[in-house]
Amino acid sequence: MNNTHSLFRKKFLSAFALLLLAASSMATAEDVKFGIYGALSGGTGPLGQSMKNGVELAVEEINAAGGILGKKIAIVFRDDEAKNEKGAQVVQELLDKEGVVALFGPTNTGVADASTRYTNKRKVPQFISVSAGAKVNELFKDSPENYVFRIVANDDIQSKVIVKEAVVARKFKKPAILCDDTNFGQAGRERLEKELAAKKITPVYVGKFKIKDTDMSAQLLQAKAAGADVILGYGIGPEMAAVSNSMDRIGWKVPLVGAWTLSMPNYINNAGKNGEGTSMPQSFIEAGKHTPREEKFLSAYRAKYNEKPIQSAIAAVQAYDSVYLLKAGIEQAKSFEGAKVRAALENLSKPFQGVTGVYSKPFNGKDHEAMKESHVKVGVVKDGIVVPKAN
Amino acid sequence: MADFVQLLVSGVSQGMIYALLAVAYNITFSTSRTINFAIGNLLMMGGVVGFSLYIDMKTGQPLGRSFIIPFMGVLVVGSILGAFINKFAVEPSRRMKSEYGSALATLAVGIVLRNLVERRWSTDDYKFLSPVGDSPIRIFGAGVYPQEVLIIAASIFIVVALETFKSKTVLGRSIQAISEDRVTASLMGINPGFIVGFSFILSAMIAGVAGLLVAPITLVSATMGTVIGIKAYAVSIIGGLESGYGTIVGGIILGLCEVFTARFISSGYKDTTGFVFLILIILLRPNGIFGRKVVRKV
Repeated sequence: MNNTHSLFRKKFLSAFALLLLAASSMATAEDVKFGIYGALSGGTGPLGQSMKNGVELAVEEINAAGGILGKKIAIVFRDDEAKNEKGAQVVQELLDKEGVVALFGPTNTGVADASTRYTNKRKVPQFISVSAGAKVNELFKDSPENYVFRIVANDDIQSKVIVKEAVVARKFKKPAILCDDTNFGQAGRERLEKELAAKKITPVYVGKFKIKDTDMSAQLLQAKAAGADVILGYGIGPEMAAVSNSMDRIGWKVPLVGAWTLSMPNYINNAGKNGEGTSMPQSFIEAGKHTPREEKFLSAYRAKYNEKPIQSAIAAVQAYDSVYLLKAGIEQAKSFEGAKVRAALENLSKPFQGVTGVYSKPFNGKDHEAMKESHVKVGVVKDGIVVPKAN
Repeated sequence: MADFVQLLVSGVSQGMIYALLAVAYNITFSTSRTINFAIGNLLMMGGVVGFSLYIDMKTGQPLGRSFIIPFMGVLVVGSILGAFINKFAVEPSRRMKSEYGSALATLAVGIVLRNLVERRWSTDDYKFLSPVGDSPIRIFGAGVYPQEVLIIAASIFIVVALETFKSKTVLGRSIQAISEDRVTASLMGINPGFIVGFSFILSAMIAGVAGLLVAPITLVSATMGTVIGIKAYAVSIIGGLESGYGTIVGGIILGLCEVFTARFISSGYKDTTGFVFLILIILLRPNGIFGRKVVRKV
């Protein structure tokens, strides 16, 4: 009976070995990693935090529902501190050391432009859900196989919506443009001028201001002297608040329509009553009536992060949608392999139902911008919060 | 007419903000012959400390305290920081007889202060509700914030008080003496180390008070002192680094240059004319409009 005994032992041992093998491969075979990078401090810190929260919430939901292609998702986050060189460094870390299969972020345009080439080199899909100015479709020129996708109302769409709102919907005839002197503000100014020119309108005044300027009286007095009936603005919260406050100071009030940054607390709080009525393009508005899909997102987000209002609802919701968009791509490709996922994303067979709207064929081989003008609504500041514009 | 008055008001009140801080540059220059480049960030500290003691950061509403509390708080923090800068940045450099060392060390202290506030406090901008109200009052149709009237009055008061202090009191005259001739003054029994230390404390306190005063106009943030710091430095050169009244004139010149350029030339050149003026002053009157020419015998 020695024989049977040894046979039994062999069988037992090999089964045990198999079990060990399975256990050891469990961690790598069951988990895939998604990387997030963005700024958690500085002026764009609130955007980075909301973006990170949005991705984490979506991943948590997906994992609870069984993951993607049967695999659980793990998240690796790196803070790029809004520094371009740091962004390039953390992206390489995420790609090479962590081996992430997809990237989300970053928040800042400069950081994105300094890091997206690594993503394209390594053929890993990347979703930008905050930076409206980063190069996305421009990247096709150097890398025809572009792995960078965006779900943000980019500056082109924003200026279209701003101009449409001011001169078409509200029929203002003499717009004045006021922008800060950063790349962001000046790129915005160029686009606003282009959009106005397409409608055969020349702004009656074009002025600029510097970051930290607090008295815009001189610029506004000149706009007033030129007969402006609306101000189109492209800047960030504190200086745009100074524009609204200076209007109050010189005793002149015309509507302000500008970039989505006008929905940030540092505009609304600092402008106070002088910010009432200011309008801006929004892909998502936290206040007001919601569709069931929006309501589901909001209640899940508020429950998880205990935030109301959300620091930056737009950053959170766009980041959240981008995870589900990627999931749709992976499931259609039936693979996590970058090239296959990219091909699937460029040819999604089913319309994608996101919180920010419905996207049928959001991407193709030439266009990686999911958001179109139709996804963007106009928000208005009312009683200290942004509400949908009343029609 | 109203527009013209508005430009005057905007320019003068902006200029007085610069003048208030320029005074702080002047005090330490006259005793130590070096520039305290931490001044802009000392102003920021005044704004941040005053804000924390007066406004509830979460709601943005006043805590309901008397304005005396942030005022005293700013004076205390200012004097501590002034003493610190003197002890750890200025004195070591003075021992090495390095004026550049001192300037660079103060610059470093300023950067450390700003980074500390960014890390420990916040990187955002906050509104400091003015204790005298935030709605503009109308003078000849131009809007003036009550806070600006307060800033103008405080600047003039501080300059007059300082000039009186320098000419009428023993301590003030010691500052004058050190400023005119350090060696002779120390032979006369004046302790230059003490006077320099005193001037740094006084200057930091004035910068802190300036921060508290301008905060309702500029918003409170870790970077609120950067631009004002540079412009006030320009103002103290235009007015003369050792002249108290010169800072007021210099401030008003720079403030008016800015608004009139923005209105009548181009908003893109807003800062340019002021600095062109600064270069002209350096070329034509290196000691500033009100500076006396000091003949140094070697």
